[in-house]
Amino acid sequence: MTMQEKAAQPEVSAAHAGTVFDIGYQRYTGSREGRNRARLAVYKDGIRTALGFGRGSRAKVLPWVFIGVLVAIALVMALVAGAAQRFVGADAAEQLNLPSHSDYYGIASIIFFVFAAVGAPELLCPDRRDGVINLYLVRPLTSSDYVISRWGAFFTVTLMVALLPQFVLLIGLIMGGPDPVQYAIDNWRDVPRILGAGAAIAAYTTTLALLAAAFTTRRAYASVFLVGLFVITTPFTTGMAAEIGGTVGQWISMFNLSNIPVHVNDLIFGEVSDVTSVAPARELSASILVGWYFLWTVVPAGILWIRYWRLAP
Amino acid sequence: MTTRSLAPVIEVDRVSRWFGNVVAVSDVTFNINPGITGLLGPNGAGKTTLLRMITGLAGVSDGSITVFGEPIRDNPPLYARIGVMSEHETVYGFMKGRDFVRMMGRLRGVTDLDAAVDRAIGLVDLAEAAHRPLGTYSRGMRQRMRLAGTLVHDPEILILDEPLNGADPRQRVHFQQILRQLAADGRTIVLSSHILEEVEQLADTVLLIVNGKLAAAGGFRAIRAALDERPYHVLVVSDAPRELAAAVVQLESVDAVNVDPDGTLVVLSRKVRDLQIELPRLAQSASISLRRVEPMDDSLESVFGYLVER
Amino acid sequence: MYAIYVLTLRQFSSRWRLLIMTVLASLPVVVAALTLRSTSTPSVEEFETAIFSAMLAGSISPLVVLAIAAAVFANEIEDRTLANLTLSPIPRWQIVVPKLFASISVAGPFIALSACLTSYIAFSGDWTATFAVTASAFVGVMLYSAAFVWLGLVATQAIGFGLLYIVLWEGFFSGFVSGVRFLSIRHYSIAWMHGLDERRFAVAENLSFEAAIATSAVVFGGFLFLSVRRLRRMDVP
Repeated sequence: MTMQEKAAQPEVSAAHAGTVFDIGYQRYTGSREGRNRARLAVYKDGIRTALGFGRGSRAKVLPWVFIGVLVAIALVMALVAGAAQRFVGADAAEQLNLPSHSDYYGIASIIFFVFAAVGAPELLCPDRRDGVINLYLVRPLTSSDYVISRWGAFFTVTLMVALLPQFVLLIGLIMGGPDPVQYAIDNWRDVPRILGAGAAIAAYTTTLALLAAAFTTRRAYASVFLVGLFVITTPFTTGMAAEIGGTVGQWISMFNLSNIPVHVNDLIFGEVSDVTSVAPARELSASILVGWYFLWTVVPAGILWIRYWRLAP
Repeated sequence: MTTRSLAPVIEVDRVSRWFGNVVAVSDVTFNINPGITGLLGPNGAGKTTLLRMITGLAGVSDGSITVFGEPIRDNPPLYARIGVMSEHETVYGFMKGRDFVRMMGRLRGVTDLDAAVDRAIGLVDLAEAAHRPLGTYSRGMRQRMRLAGTLVHDPEILILDEPLNGADPRQRVHFQQILRQLAADGRTIVLSSHILEEVEQLADTVLLIVNGKLAAAGGFRAIRAALDERPYHVLVVSDAPRELAAAVVQLESVDAVNVDPDGTLVVLSRKVRDLQIELPRLAQSASISLRRVEPMDDSLESVFGYLVER
Repeated sequence: MYAIYVLTLRQFSSRWRLLIMTVLASLPVVVAALTLRSTSTPSVEEFETAIFSAMLAGSISPLVVLAIAAAVFANEIEDRTLANLTLSPIPRWQIVVPKLFASISVAGPFIALSACLTSYIAFSGDWTATFAVTASAFVGVMLYSAAFVWLGLVATQAIGFGLLYIVLWEGFFSGFVSGVRFLSIRHYSIAWMHGLDERRFAVAENLSFEAAIATSAVVFGGFLFLSVRRLRRMDVP
């Protein structure tokens, strides 16, 4: 130790057994943002995680492949409509019964669900598996704040993923027509419908996906379980509903989980999509279909909230 | 720098490893012989990457690594002679301790399995807990059972990455005794640790890795002596510090002298051997009593510090 | 190899996992039973489309196998326990093969039993048809297992890519592009079914039985080879 370093230190009084020296550590004396800031941080982190930002390039592959496929479907639909318009005539879409906005979610729903099944566990499972959740909960953040922020983050992502292809399709249809401005004026109501249907499928998918992720620490099992739920209920309920028929068949058809938000989509657009046109459940009343949707969205959300509300650091 | 003797057990020759733009290990060359070799370095220095390459778990980007004269990578038969304990807790929580060690022994081709398992578990003093699942063990117990799994096939080489993590003082002492005995039996042990004091006590040879490069190799005192540009700091307490300082500063073996306010002298010298002879003579001729003469940086910690700062 | 086989069986034999597999495997049986209740015997197209292709070979089998086969190595990599196996003086294929066989051993009986009961009920006790369906479902399990074991070694998000394959390739694209059947494990299974009982299943068009056998062998052997190669070359965490 040099003379200068020694001189910088205060003398140790013989009366004291030990002394703590100020080596430059200073407490933070600035403003401390509270709970809302913490919620926002968890929310932003959730969005980044779901889209693979802030990690290597490999983390971005899966989510963006899914987004690419969903947009590609919409693009193909727009191109087909445009080509039909050009080569068949002005009313080609109706004549050929080409799929449009109301059919999009029915066509793309399974890919959308798989996207959610793969993405949602990334937001919840690693934190519990690695014990990082405890670091969140010792901050000015409750477990409810945590799960609500995560839900908000994934809802934002799924909403974006649900709306982007529809708006690509809308732009394609507008630009593919002989009079784009007139098409836009005539079909302006599609915009709120797209927003409503997109929000419906995003909320439903987000809730179920996060709920599956809340019950396991392994992302793989949550993903497979969720996809299994969507993929397997379709042929199972379709087969049983067709065999049994009647009201019972209709209610069995209601358990086709991939169709639940598509029925709401049909109600919003006022027309039955190709996918749900063969589902006996379409014949049930609108209030039943909407109520069923809310049952399968709100109840799982409640279970998700309870599951995390019980967590403590 | 290399420490060569007859037939080195592990030869690392101009080894580099990079991950994209990050160079984790850069052009490192050394040999490891029987005995205990300590691998030291700050966090992120490349120690674990180097150990993983030595054990064949990771490949090299450049250079070569041989063990017993054979390439380690993609050479499974060599693992019959090597025991590896990684930094992470790599056990199956559902498995009982004895079953884990037994499985390790079976995978490594141990013939008299029961005896080997008993010996290994006895060595780590976990016979009573061996019938419980590993998930119920404390961290230190899991670490010890992992060590048993590493020793069950009586390997000639032991590669241990932070083996004392989670060990209490009593376990540390016991572990040190095990390692010393194994080294005395002729085994080659490579030990990576942040606990400089223990490496200093255990290791015959030290490898210092800093920023992916081999900063020094050999006994730490020899390394210290080789750090020519750094003078030794020698603490001197006497009954006449200023008079002694005035006399000492004239010695050729002394670079500088600091006199602290409390009267302590700190003598900086690159020729400590000469100082050892000249200082007492000087004090005697000046009728000054020397109360304390003590090297301040004759430790692995100071060597580590010097080399990390360079 | 036996030690690794037993280890893997233990890793995937939890009560919840077995319960979920039982439930999934019983779904096609229930549908078959209900179908039989309303009609006498389903036509080949009905059975193949609704039950075998859509449910068994198209969704239940690949999903169950994905959850197990992709995880045999992926879980070890995630938990950093794979080094316990790779630091053994045994050839890498002696690590991959028991892992693969364990995956088949766990998923296979459930799928095979499901296929057996489903077809026995659907075809009113026709053992030839039952054998054909069961064997083809088991072949599907073997091929999916080989593919997904390899996927678990090469991709950190193996499940995601596996789901992409199942849902996009086998599910979505195969509905629009008929050539997909030449690169589809589901269609190989269907071709096996046709080949093993030409009397009942020869009506539908598909790959020839000989082509199905050859491609199945190539797929199984190819993915096994790739898995061994990957294990030899990868950095083990």
